[in-house]
Amino acid sequence: MNPRSLVLKMQRAMFALVVLLTVSGLHQVHAQFIHPKIKSKETTIRRVVVLPAKVNVVRDSMKGPEGMAAESDELSLRVEAMVAEVLSKKKNVVTLPKPAAPAEGDAQQNYNVADFQTKFDDLLPKIMKKRSDVKKARFSMGDEVLNLNLDKNADAIIFIRGAGKKLTGGKTAFRLFVGGMPAFLSLQIGIVDARNGEVLVYTDPILVGDPTTAVDRLRKALEKGFKKIPEVKL
Amino acid sequence: MFPRKPTNLILFALCFCIVFTSFSPLALAQKKTAPVEATPPPIREEFKFGEVDMEVLEQADLLDTRFERDGLVLRDEPVNAYLKRVGQSLIPRDLELERVTWKFRALRDPQPNAFALPNGSIYVTTGLMTLIENESQLAAIIAHELTHVMRRHTYMHNRSNRKKFLTMNVMAAVGAYAPGGIVGAVITVVTTVAPFIMVATIYGYSRDLEREADLKGIDMMISAEYAPEEMVNVMKLLNTDIEGENIRLFYNDHPSLEERIKYLSGYLGARADKVTHQMELNRERAAYFGTVEPLMRHNLQLSINAGRGRSAVFHAQRLVDFHADSENLFWLAEAYRTLGPRAPQLTEKEMTNSGKKKAAEKSLKRTAEEEERDLLATPGGKENWQKHQQLAEELYRRALSAENPAPVAHRGLGMLYEKLGRTSDAAAEYEKYLELSPAANDRGRIQKRVEALKEKVQ
Repeated sequence: MNPRSLVLKMQRAMFALVVLLTVSGLHQVHAQFIHPKIKSKETTIRRVVVLPAKVNVVRDSMKGPEGMAAESDELSLRVEAMVAEVLSKKKNVVTLPKPAAPAEGDAQQNYNVADFQTKFDDLLPKIMKKRSDVKKARFSMGDEVLNLNLDKNADAIIFIRGAGKKLTGGKTAFRLFVGGMPAFLSLQIGIVDARNGEVLVYTDPILVGDPTTAVDRLRKALEKGFKKIPEVKL
Repeated sequence: MFPRKPTNLILFALCFCIVFTSFSPLALAQKKTAPVEATPPPIREEFKFGEVDMEVLEQADLLDTRFERDGLVLRDEPVNAYLKRVGQSLIPRDLELERVTWKFRALRDPQPNAFALPNGSIYVTTGLMTLIENESQLAAIIAHELTHVMRRHTYMHNRSNRKKFLTMNVMAAVGAYAPGGIVGAVITVVTTVAPFIMVATIYGYSRDLEREADLKGIDMMISAEYAPEEMVNVMKLLNTDIEGENIRLFYNDHPSLEERIKYLSGYLGARADKVTHQMELNRERAAYFGTVEPLMRHNLQLSINAGRGRSAVFHAQRLVDFHADSENLFWLAEAYRTLGPRAPQLTEKEMTNSGKKKAAEKSLKRTAEEEERDLLATPGGKENWQKHQQLAEELYRRALSAENPAPVAHRGLGMLYEKLGRTSDAAAEYEKYLELSPAANDRGRIQKRVEALKEKVQ
């Protein structure tokens, strides 16, 4: 084989790789890891409590990232509601009310939820480091979960975290000519046993597109993200 | 060699301009080692709000709401009033700043830290308030943060960053369409290197602002008649790094603590001619501990939740030394139980930058339970565990025999015995706790433990 044809072949292979990566980047990526107790049906997720989601999005402009605190709060609420909707429609899972909002002067209940959210934030990097270990029942938040004093019928608690990026018009054009990360939303969802704190399910759906407007894509990403959770028989 | 084509000439000129402007601030930043004498006026009079600044302000207001809503702000009126009193005493009289409403609050976080939002909200974490020793040190922290607001640092930093990000993006575009030949190669090299220089200037500017806040902070402390040398002592306290988490990275947005101690000491020598008497500081310490004792206990719980056993032991011991009542003894016992098989202090090797980096990587790979299990498999870990469980048991017993015994010490003993495999003793202690605290928040959890232990016994 002469050197010219070798170079041509390599160029074609590179082109194919770039096309493959571009195409795969446009689809929702999802990975899900299920605790053996769920797989063996020893535990069934029938009723859940969804804790307030924490999703942060930034606007990426030519002049750098800009905060979107109001849009982030709005998106957090939307993701939270959509998780409940998808679980209800696809898996017949009932969503129970959250821990009651603390009355004026009752700081303890507010602290309890905040501390438990922080505990999940501390555990999350360890889960993300080796997600497949959820299948080995390696991660737990301990029986402190009972201090949340949730509805006694709750089987699981859902924690939602997320980060996303919205591109401005200028940055979108720049990306077309120069390249760079597209707009996206990356979620990390942990479902924890409400009785002993074991991490039962971990899933991290990603969607490509404007996180503040891509409602259908978000729904699809969540549906795929919860695909492995067994459906509750009515 | 010079480019001949007009397009190449334009590209070359553009690159030259961008690189020239990129190098200049860096060079200036490097020359500025210790601006000892002249610090700028306390407020930036010439500052005019633009659209971009209004957006930053809006984000800051929303962040305030979020901290409140998410249960991160400590709802302790006496503590927040105390912070307000210290903060207000530092602000020059009759000072009115456009779009600033001063708010001083404690944030529920065991990590020592403080920050200011441009709208005038100053947050000091419970971790930092527990670490410091007197009101002058608290004033030092608040004075530093007040300077950030008064000198409009957040807005200035944001404006500067926007210019630098735009430059970086323009450079990336130029680099992507670089022509061939030597000119193209030069452009490629320049556009590849320039972002690193830009990032360095962003961090350099941030360090300059921190330095300014440190030095202006001393001026404000002197004006409010606080002991200014306590600013240096705060840095020294922060430098103790009990948990070994102050890792030096390639880029840093704050000057190193050693550097801060050095330039602050130099500046202080030139500004203050008297040093506060130690007795005066001791009195101040006692008053400070008396005021923030409940906050310190709250922070101990946060430290224990976060697995910061070394900090918990350090702070609980200080509390016991200050006031050896039942509750403080209980907290020291809890701290030793949490410390478990870990050593109370890090070794010299663990305190090196590479040692800290290794520990951070390891902690990402192991859960707290796995770390304990691994340590218990070593002779050192076993020895530590034995020592700490004995200390914890003794302290729980002392807490229960003290005046106004804390029932929660029974729960602590129960947890300790459960870990030691003393099933019946653990169940008995838990039951005593439930009997003495019928309205406890963790009643359900402890009841479940009792049931499980009783099942085990049968």
